[in-house]
Amino acid sequence: MIEFMSTAEPLQIGVIVSFVMLIFVLIGVRVAFATAGAGFLGLVWIFSAKMGFEKGFIVAVKMAGTIPHSKATTLSLSLIPTFILIGYLAYHAGLTKALFEAAKRWVGWLPGGLGVATVFSTAGFAAVSGASVATSAVFARVAIPEMLKMGYDKRFAAGVVAAGGTLASLIPPSAILVIYAIIVEQDVGTLLMAGFIPGIVSAFIYGGLVVFLALMNKDLGPPVRGFTWKQRFESIPGTLPIFFVIFIIMVCIYGGVGTPTEAGALGAGVIMAMAFYKGMRWSTLKDALMESSKLTVMIFTMIWGVLLYVRFLGFADLPNAFSAWIAGIDQSPYITLLFILLAYAVLGMFMDAIGMLLLTLPVVYPAIIALNGGPLVTAADSAFGVSSTGCAIWFGIIVVKMAELCLITPPIGLNCFVVAGVRKDISVQDVFRGVTPFFAADVLTIAVLIAVPSIVLWLPSMM
Amino acid sequence: MSSSIIREDSTRLSKFDQQLFKLESWFSLIGGITISMLVALAIANSLGRWLFNLPVTGYIDWVEQFMAVFAFIGIAYCQRLGGHIRMDILLSLMKGRALWVAEWASTLFMLLITAVLVYGSYFHFYRAFTNGDSSMDIGIPIWPAKLLVPVALSFLMLRLLLQLWAYSRAILLGSEQPVGVPFIEDAATQANREAESLGAASEYDKESQEQS
Repeated sequence: MIEFMSTAEPLQIGVIVSFVMLIFVLIGVRVAFATAGAGFLGLVWIFSAKMGFEKGFIVAVKMAGTIPHSKATTLSLSLIPTFILIGYLAYHAGLTKALFEAAKRWVGWLPGGLGVATVFSTAGFAAVSGASVATSAVFARVAIPEMLKMGYDKRFAAGVVAAGGTLASLIPPSAILVIYAIIVEQDVGTLLMAGFIPGIVSAFIYGGLVVFLALMNKDLGPPVRGFTWKQRFESIPGTLPIFFVIFIIMVCIYGGVGTPTEAGALGAGVIMAMAFYKGMRWSTLKDALMESSKLTVMIFTMIWGVLLYVRFLGFADLPNAFSAWIAGIDQSPYITLLFILLAYAVLGMFMDAIGMLLLTLPVVYPAIIALNGGPLVTAADSAFGVSSTGCAIWFGIIVVKMAELCLITPPIGLNCFVVAGVRKDISVQDVFRGVTPFFAADVLTIAVLIAVPSIVLWLPSMM
Repeated sequence: MSSSIIREDSTRLSKFDQQLFKLESWFSLIGGITISMLVALAIANSLGRWLFNLPVTGYIDWVEQFMAVFAFIGIAYCQRLGGHIRMDILLSLMKGRALWVAEWASTLFMLLITAVLVYGSYFHFYRAFTNGDSSMDIGIPIWPAKLLVPVALSFLMLRLLLQLWAYSRAILLGSEQPVGVPFIEDAATQANREAESLGAASEYDKESQEQS
């Protein structure tokens, strides 16, 4: 045993330690510490094999000790807490009611109008709050009672709310896209821009689907008519902070007039001012600050924990070996990509999206790049028809959309459970039935995004 | 705040837990205030640059200092509330002593790796302190930010020791709901609590009660 430990090749060490790390995760060790712990043990093993245990251990301790501070103070990460703060203050700025009311007045006349209004108001709120599950919980309280009052089918109403929450992660501001960008070392602004069109398209697909379903089955939900243009325009001011947040992020990044952090901070400033205007007190602000602090520290701990593991992986050369294996599989790259996405679909059922991405990307991302033809490939020579940078952005959007899809996938799609949890009169089975058309639409959307990468890459290419 | 998921009673363990939680809450609040300071600083920097061509001097240096605060200071608070992500699919199948033994083992593992990181990050601080390292632009000393890492992780160690104590007690007494540690919640409860943290649930529940 000791002989094996001292003579093992780095790659063997990489495989064994990664396997141990997965066992840690599976038995419930917090992901940040499972990865940091495995990374540290791996460094100890690799250095001990080279220079003896005593020296190897000290070198590993010193190396591991530099990572938390140096990685957590990476400048581009400073954007994350501003997005998180926007999320916690969005509710207090009165945005949920204002959005739903405005959407109802503007699109309520369509067949299934309240459903369409729910889709667009959840999309808007989810985008700024960045919290899919919480958005569904909030709108289960705001939108479902109104829909039921108007005689909407309860499965349909519940399905719209559960699905609407999943629109959180692509439309800016999106913390998860920032984290993806940091891990794969791509430009944060480019990723945020890339998410915009697929996010908006997803919302319109949902909206169109609601109209189609309501046209096919008149009992699902009637239109809500009778609003005057004056009433419509009166509903707009309350929703302006949302448009401001999205607008300022797009302008700062697209126009290059500010950094993403400055855009996030301006957004947070406006939302905070709006929340004060709506009567937010110190106790509420204090709670929002503490919750933001908690979520920030959770994400940062995961990031440095995973990056400690990544440091070890670099020494073990595991990502390169895995990439070579994936690229060498004798089948269509699309089939391999499909299997990888299916693996994400399964993993996403058991793990939070951020955890899932951080845990897997250090190994999966280089493999995807290799599958596309390597880090220097041009669009013309590549397997997926995108350059290596384009592939990084395109895969990020697909995988984030995939993570959102997991929230409405049976048997444990969290958004469906939360809607059923809030509405005691609607069973989980009802929500899953209601959400099925949206699930199918999402699968189709992902297929289209895979087949036509330019939907993702067009906007970033204009920057 | 979501402190309600942790059971409290009059035992010494619970009192110690509550005292430590008060301190951790203060730290977390400092983290939150630092986030709002970052927001204010970034707004001042962008508006200063756009309107007066006058950005904040040493903006990047200050951002990096702030980041060290909010990235670490609430780490024990987050652990106390069970906020660090994990996969609890196997744990949720366990009950009673088996569950507490599994929790105990995973807490011990966390404690060991945290101890190593306290030691390693102290070295990192000590090097910066003895070399007099300072930031690139306006020369702020870097060692205080680096010292924050071992300090925050030491508080996390304290929290983990307390949780080990709580799980040991639960194993010995065979208790169903031990004090001072977070419980695993089902999907709906977890999601509802998340919605409550957005401030939404309570208000709408109140409204619907009033309506009925």
